[in-house]
Amino acid sequence: MNGTTTVTMFRDAVLDPAKRAHYRLAWLSTVDHKRIAVLYLMTALVFFVIGGMEAFFIRLQLAVPNNHLLHPDTFNQLFTMHGTTMLFLVAMPALFGLVNYVLPLQIGARDMAFPRLNAFGFWCVPLGGILLHFSVLAGGAPAVGWFAYTPLSLTPYSSLLGVDYWAISLFVLGTGSISFAVNVVATVVSLRGPGMTMRRLPLFTWINFVNAFIILMALPILNAALAMLLVDRQLSGHFFLPLGGGSPILWQHIFWAFGHPEVYILALPAFGIISELIPVFSRKPIFGYEFVAGSSVAIAVLSMGVWAHHMFTVGMGRTMDLFFVIASMLISIPTGVKVLNWTATMIGGRIQFRVPMLYAIAFLLQFLCAGLTGISHASAALDWQTKNSYFLVAHFHFVAVGAIVFAILGGIQYWFPKMSGRMLSESLGKWTFWLMTIGFNLTFIIQHFLGLLGMPRRVYTYPDLPHWGWMNMLSTSGVFFMSAASLILVWNILTSFFRGKIAGDNPWNAWTLEWATTSPPPHENFLALPPIHSRRPLWDLANPDRPDPVVGDDQVVLPNHNKVGILSFIFSEAGFFGVLILAYLYFYVHPQPGPTAKELEVGRTLVFTVCLFASSFTFWRAETALHLKRHVLMLGWLGLTIILGAVFLVGQVTEYWKLFQSGVEVGTNVFATAFFTLTGFHGLHVFIGLIALLIFLWLGWMRDLVAGKGSGFAFQAVGYYWHFVDVVWVFVLFTVYILPLIK
Amino acid sequence: MNTNEFLSMAWRFNSLLLVLAGLACGGYFIAFGGRGRPGYFVAAGIIFVLALASPLGALADGYLFSAHMIQHILFLLIVPALLLLSLPRSFQLPAWLHVVTYPVLAWVAGVGAMWLWHAPILCNAASVSSRVFALQTTSLILMGSLFWWQIIAPRESDRLSPAAGIAYLFTACVACSVLGMILTFAPVSLCPAYQHPADQLGLLGTIRGQWGLTSERDQQIGGLLMWVPMCLIYATAILAQFARFHADAPQMEKHHA
Repeated sequence: MNGTTTVTMFRDAVLDPAKRAHYRLAWLSTVDHKRIAVLYLMTALVFFVIGGMEAFFIRLQLAVPNNHLLHPDTFNQLFTMHGTTMLFLVAMPALFGLVNYVLPLQIGARDMAFPRLNAFGFWCVPLGGILLHFSVLAGGAPAVGWFAYTPLSLTPYSSLLGVDYWAISLFVLGTGSISFAVNVVATVVSLRGPGMTMRRLPLFTWINFVNAFIILMALPILNAALAMLLVDRQLSGHFFLPLGGGSPILWQHIFWAFGHPEVYILALPAFGIISELIPVFSRKPIFGYEFVAGSSVAIAVLSMGVWAHHMFTVGMGRTMDLFFVIASMLISIPTGVKVLNWTATMIGGRIQFRVPMLYAIAFLLQFLCAGLTGISHASAALDWQTKNSYFLVAHFHFVAVGAIVFAILGGIQYWFPKMSGRMLSESLGKWTFWLMTIGFNLTFIIQHFLGLLGMPRRVYTYPDLPHWGWMNMLSTSGVFFMSAASLILVWNILTSFFRGKIAGDNPWNAWTLEWATTSPPPHENFLALPPIHSRRPLWDLANPDRPDPVVGDDQVVLPNHNKVGILSFIFSEAGFFGVLILAYLYFYVHPQPGPTAKELEVGRTLVFTVCLFASSFTFWRAETALHLKRHVLMLGWLGLTIILGAVFLVGQVTEYWKLFQSGVEVGTNVFATAFFTLTGFHGLHVFIGLIALLIFLWLGWMRDLVAGKGSGFAFQAVGYYWHFVDVVWVFVLFTVYILPLIK
Repeated sequence: MNTNEFLSMAWRFNSLLLVLAGLACGGYFIAFGGRGRPGYFVAAGIIFVLALASPLGALADGYLFSAHMIQHILFLLIVPALLLLSLPRSFQLPAWLHVVTYPVLAWVAGVGAMWLWHAPILCNAASVSSRVFALQTTSLILMGSLFWWQIIAPRESDRLSPAAGIAYLFTACVACSVLGMILTFAPVSLCPAYQHPADQLGLLGTIRGQWGLTSERDQQIGGLLMWVPMCLIYATAILAQFARFHADAPQMEKHHA
């Protein structure tokens, strides 16, 4: 069973090398997942330098008491930009880059499911980065923290454009992340190679598959929050401004409903990297595969229900605190399970202390510290004392740097040979590792004690209190070590790329599929795949006499990727509308003076609602006609669908017009703000759906629409989207128009 | 009445309840004899009786919304799950009942039960009229059974696949979280009967004073119970689905061999 027979891949659709020679010059237009991955990583590196410089200046300012190196406002801008940059422009692109490179290879796929969407997702990163940094030219960078708490981030307190650029930039980046997640889900579900069942997925792939769902749940929540913030800032809305009946606390709830899962969005891929490194360099299979995989599912589910622990100091009341203390403590179980599994994998292994393994070991120790201080923050009573101190700064840097950055560095050292064909220098790598470890711990261990001594965070300077001075100086000194480490890393990458030792296919003697192809892999990734019957196909290939136990049967079920993709997208859209509807409801039960939902004209709305629902029916008829190859009939039903959708939009425009006539605008009161935002975004979705339908009408007209082919599946996918938009309207209709009638 | 008096005196074993429980046990042993798993059945019975007859039942009867929420969780999620687990492995529904086992229908039943019974009118009616309350209890157990059938039906072939099961449970978890959030953050009482209890036991002073449970805080606890612990029950079931996903294939192999 585990012989050397290979499964030949389909090659018919692969362009021949001569035809794609020009791609070598055209990195800008590439849709190859490997090149996009490299672009992701390079972009992350550029922003890492920028974000690192910001950190450097922050630490310089804080090095001595009563320092006036930086203006207070500049300091606020720096820490806002540093946080935003490091999370959204460094950690996420770096991890997405590694995933983009490795995940398709690990499952034996030729590319991601949607290569163009993949390129779109990547190009959102530089666009978002440029937008964010353009704020510097447009009157000053945002100075409101990466969390942009309202009302500080609203126009009366931040009147310049910085926050607007911040919000738009994060919106773009969030959109890019969602498209990346859609791609990951569709790739893993639909593009696995022969024998690569879901139970045999390498842990890096599995964990990132789970992570894609967290992205799909969390990023739309951020996007909704940003949309609301922009409505407040640009259209004088009232969501978050207490003056007009808005709720600043609502921003915190929505932001942390995204913000907490965001921590796991960064941590889970790091866990995935570590789950690859530790077995390979311990020369043992992972201990308890199912528990590592299952604990990721547990983390994903729990991540959505614990955000309120970021708000213990807000004053939510003891009741709420209590529930979220308990829920937050639960998170330590699945993370603890993981640490246990990694450690148990090392026990009894023949550990090779190569550079990636050094990072993995440092990760384990530092992540343990981060977890322990994390548990202390889960306890509301302790959290009240330490939340706004440097103790918290130390905690989340132990997570973000000590765990996540270390995992990324380990991953780069591990996969660089696959990407470039050459090894990174082991000795330079060790220099980077040790300088980084020393620098990181110098900077951040002491901050725990600074926090416990009472130094508040987010201050631009501090008085010369006992011990604060030398502790801060010590903390700043670590930065120089980390800077040196980064410089050596860049030097290592540059020199190794040109002169490094040739890597060969499998320099680490690893067992997953990415090492079964050449380094770097050919455009189509694999010429042939080895047989896959277990979780370590290359081990089986190398040791035919003692293969790993077979896991499950070989049957691989691959649903159509268009369907999987659109369903994942709809899943994320549901979250977006969920937030808007809940926000509407929140203000519905806290009524303010001025217009209310009772003034809406329900009768007219019901008429155009019928049109919208009818359009779902007509679309279904169009689909049926397509399957029956009744071409004219199909065009007729599709045309009718478009007309019905357009009538709905006209109805909505009429409603808006009438409201404007009677003086109700977005800024009138909080009801109007919530009403226009919710129905407006729904209308926008209908409008986008109409454009998609028009494209298909044109395709149909040109006779390019065929059932059972690519365009037919795409048509089906657009249908799902159209029906989804109708379903959203059911909820909007009930909440906005029907609910006030019931009493 | 102070706390100790209340805890010792608020036990209301009414004869109808005990007779019903006894009849159910008898019926179970006649129907399944030794083939079922009576431990689960007895556990379901005890939890059911305690939820109604213990001080919890007394509190839920017009005093505390949060106590009523604990009852709901027990009736909708715990008791039906135990009942299904008590059935013998070979048990299957009679053919005419198969119509109730469509996953979408079952999901709507399981989630809808929570939403429906928290519409202010129905919630109020159930806490005022004992008939409506009996109807509510019965419907919660029935709809809960319908919901869980998809996950823990006695025969493997009657259950959803693990992946579908995870989606089924996750969406239920989201739906109950959303309702929990609404209850937690609603400024008005969504079940007005609990705002001004008809103080039959003379306990209200203790509840509001000694226990510090104002009607707002009470509703908040109720909402949070639905938001957090109830969702954790679904989350636990999700992990069980995952375990099933990793466990079922070896069994199948054994089967083939």
